[in-house]
Formats: sequence, structure tokens, C-alpha cells
Amino acid sequence: MRASSYVLNKKRIFTLYPQLEEERAERKTGSRADIRTKLMILSILVLLAAAAYLTVGVHFENQRLMNYAFSLRTPKLIVMAIAAFAIGGASIVFQSIINNTIVTPCLLGMNSLYTLIHTAVVFFAGSGSILAVNANLAFAADLILMSVAATFIYSYLFRKTNHNVLYVLLVGTVLSSFFGSLQGTMIRVMDPNEYDSLLATLVASLSNINGEIITVSLLVLAGVIFLLRKELALLDVITLGKNQAINLGVDYDRTIRRLLWGVTICIAVATAMVGPISFLGLIIANLSRQLFKTYRHSVLITGATLFGMVLLMGGQLIVEHIFVYSVPISVFITVGGGLYFLYLLLKGRKSI
Amino acid sequence: MNIRKLTKRYDGKAVVDGVSFTIPKGKVTSLIGPNGAGKSTVMGMISRLIARDEGMVDFEGKEMKQWKSRELSKRLAILTQHNNVQMKLTVRELVAFGRFPYSGNRLTAEDEGIIDNAISYMELEEFEQRFIDELSGGQRQRAYIAMVIAQDTDYVLLDEPTNNLDIYHASNMMKMARRLCDELGKTVILVLHELNYAAFYSDYICAFANGRIEKFGTVKEVMQKDVLGKIYNVDFEIMEIQGKPLSIYY
Repeated sequence: MRASSYVLNKKRIFTLYPQLEEERAERKTGSRADIRTKLMILSILVLLAAAAYLTVGVHFENQRLMNYAFSLRTPKLIVMAIAAFAIGGASIVFQSIINNTIVTPCLLGMNSLYTLIHTAVVFFAGSGSILAVNANLAFAADLILMSVAATFIYSYLFRKTNHNVLYVLLVGTVLSSFFGSLQGTMIRVMDPNEYDSLLATLVASLSNINGEIITVSLLVLAGVIFLLRKELALLDVITLGKNQAINLGVDYDRTIRRLLWGVTICIAVATAMVGPISFLGLIIANLSRQLFKTYRHSVLITGATLFGMVLLMGGQLIVEHIFVYSVPISVFITVGGGLYFLYLLLKGRKSI
Repeated sequence: MNIRKLTKRYDGKAVVDGVSFTIPKGKVTSLIGPNGAGKSTVMGMISRLIARDEGMVDFEGKEMKQWKSRELSKRLAILTQHNNVQMKLTVRELVAFGRFPYSGNRLTAEDEGIIDNAISYMELEEFEQRFIDELSGGQRQRAYIAMVIAQDTDYVLLDEPTNNLDIYHASNMMKMARRLCDELGKTVILVLHELNYAAFYSDYICAFANGRIEKFGTVKEVMQKDVLGKIYNVDFEIMEIQGKPLSIYY
């Protein structure tokens, strides 16, 4: 009976079913409000964690001690925020590119590649050269090499394996240990003094952050976001898979290549600042996906960043004041992340 | 849509070999043929999902490659068989993606109306807020068709839309393809495995074998004992039911 009411003119069908405006508006604001509340709660948690991290154990009665504590803690706080954004954003984007939620850039050896490049620069240029002495210059050199190498390696890998997750993971794992071995070889051949000076910048961790490059990192991340603003807007569509994205008019290969480049830079920034924390990306990206249950990347990335900040700040607080630096936060992240990874695997066995 | 000498090779072996035909506008055309005959590859090439090695595809008076991808996506929609979305996406959000070529991520009030109507057209109102990965195969297929309707294109390409569907959902899918053509005036191109669906619901059939067109014509012209026997290497009987030639094979 419905068929008879259709008119052949195709433009007409879109006026045949007027829906109640209010009902639709309510539905829409319903889910939006839900997301906003969750974001608010997360933000408050972040503020609490940040405030606690800054103030716990500070001697407020002594002005100089207080200033000293703040001068130590503020850069760390900033670094943690930047790292949370870089890792969270990179992981979410990477998962959407490869259309799988249990993969992170770290599993494909992106941070091993970064440590390899950093070692190689010192190895070939020497620890006395300007490239190694000036932290910002060293960082810039690393970033350039990293973007060239990673774009080449990973976009080739993706194209060759036809975006097949299992192959990508397999090759990625091999690459990861390959980069590690190359770096290990360089270290063994290296002059011990050179190695000593390299080590200081190589094993950045949250207790030993690389604070010299904060400004450059912020500039780099802002630049990446600016350059990729068009591609970032396409993320939601890319979630639908290659065929659907092309169907909806996306220049797929180019977009993927550029986004992958952005992911690489973000991972490089995070690794340079706080060292490799492999599972953090996996944890915060999936927590964000579980909590917000949406495909919208603006929400997902914000959520992952906020989760990252809470975890890093809260975790570091515990490490510094309860364990008094005896256990680094990366241990907690690896243990917790490993368990969470297993849980995700068992929960969604079919998703791999 | 004019297709001239379309060729695709994998490792030097031509899987599609100099295929030329013209797809009639405003009709339902089915591509049929045995496995590996190249029908899905042809579909991929005329929808820009697969890069072609040789040949031309003239779409609305302009070579396919000259079209801007965004513009093309307002004129031609393709739905492939494998659509697995890993993300949490509701039916409505999926259908809304059909408006992406027009409005990007910001939907206008007009878009919302079009999405509503596409959902109503596929009778998906009650599933509107359900997540795609919680639906049955038939419902999911309908959600994707609704998205294609929201995309509002002149051409709709469906690659094996009846795959993995039971008889009820498969025949509904075919009726829907027919309605897209008859009621909405779209040119519908299908890749089909079931001969009788092609015979019953299309206007034209293009039969492939070994990467070439064996026979292209109206349903009556292609649904002949000797034509089909040659393509599939099986004995056929043709019967006429409701004025349509249907095939029996065993």
C-alpha cells in the first residue's frame, strides 16, 4: 500500500515522511548531553589529578621550598599532558586507519624505530656534534628522519598487505625486534663515553622527562593538526572501511598516507618526551571507545587524552609518593595494559 | 555509462579482457557469470574501487578519472559485499554518512529530513538507534541500502547484494533494487549469482565468461538455453513464469 503513494519523481520521496521535529531534536540532544556529561566528569578528574600531583607533599609554609617543588613539577605536568594527547590521538587515529581497535602504533614498532633513529644520529654524527648537544636540534633531526622512514615503511607495509590486520601485526612485530636489534648492535659498537651521553636522552621516562623540548613539541603537534585538518575531518568516514570511504568521495590512499605520517610524528614526540610506554595508547584509546560508544573522533580523541592525563598524573603521584620512585610508572602501565589487552582479546575474539 | 575495452590483469593474466558495453540509463542491469568470470572486477572498475589497467569508462559524458571523487559520490553509489564496521555506529549514524558528500560532517536540517525518509523507506525506524554490529545480516544490508538512498545518486551499484541472505531477505533485496529503479528513477547495476533473481528482476543482463562478455541484452535475449549452457557448462531448461523466463538447472 505504501508503494502506491510514491511518486516517480525521485525528489519527492524525501518529502513523503515528515517526522516530528521535536522527537528528532530530543533524540539528538539526548546522546549529545550524555557525552558532554561524561567529558565533564573526566575533565574534573583530570583537574583533581593535576591539583593533587602539584600539591601533595609540598611545604607551603616555606616559600622557597614551595617554589622549588613547583618548578620541578610544572614541566612534568605539561609533559604528561602533551604525551597523553600525542599517544591518545595517535592511537585512536591509527586504530581507525587500520579498522581494528586492539592495534596500537607501538605494536608495530614505531617507538623502536624512534629509538633506533635517535641512536643512529648520535652514532653517525658523534655525541660532540651539534646534532647531539642541542636537544631541540637533535629532536628536529629525529623527527625528519622518522617521518621519512616511517611513512615509507608503514605505507608500503599497508599497501602490500592490503590492510590485512594479521599480516600488518605480524610484520610489525618482526620490524619491532628488527629495529631493536639494529639499535642494540649500534650501542655495542659505540664508544662507552658516547653511549653514556646517549643514554641520558635515550631512556626518557616519566621520572626523567625530557623537558627541554616542550616548546618545540607543542609547535610540532600544532603544525601536524594544522596540516592534517582536512584529513582529520575525514576520520569518521574512514571508519567505514576503504570501499565505503571511496564511495563517499574520499581520496583514500592519500588521506591514509598523510594520517599515518601524523601518527608517526605524534609517537615520535611522545617517545622523545617520556620514553616508550607501549600499552598506554591501547588502554586510553579503548577506555575512551568503551565509555563514549561513538564513532565521532573529536569525542574519542578528547576522551583518550583526558584518560591519558588521569592515568599518567595519578600514576605518577602514586609512584612518587607511595613507592618513592622504587617502581617506575611504566611497570604499572605495562602490567595493567597487558591484563587489559588480554581482556580485550578474550572479550572480542572475533574482532581480530 | 559507456564502457570501452576495459582490461584488468593480475600477474600478467587478464581477468577482465577488453570488455565494452553501455549500461542503459534508468534500468536495472545485472552482471552474471560463473566464479572468476570477472563480473565483480568489472563492477569494481566502473565504481573506481579497483584501478583499471586499460580502457575507458565514460560516465555522463566525462571520463571517470576526470571526475572529482566528491562530485562522483553525488552521482554514483557502490555497495560491496564486505562491510564490517568495528566502531560503535548506530543505524541512523550509518545512514547519515550518506549525506557526507554533500555536507561533510555538519548535517543540515534538510539532510536530517532526507535521512529520516531513507530510514522510513527501508522500514528501519525501530532499529534507528541500534548499533550496526547488533543487527542480523538482513537488517544490516537494509541499513546500508538506506545509506545509499540517503546518498541520493543517479546510479546505484550493488555487488552481490543477496549474498549470505536467506530466500526471504534475498528476494526482498531484489524487490528493493527494482523499487530503486521504478520509484526513484535510479540506474541500478547488480552483480548476481542467482540467475533467476537476475532474470526476474532486471531489464538487461550482461553475461560474463572468462573475463569477456559472452552475451549482453534484454533478459529474454540472454535467458536462452544455448546461451546459458555455453556460459556455465551446465544443461538448462527455460520456463516462463509470470511472463519472465526462469531457468532450471541441476
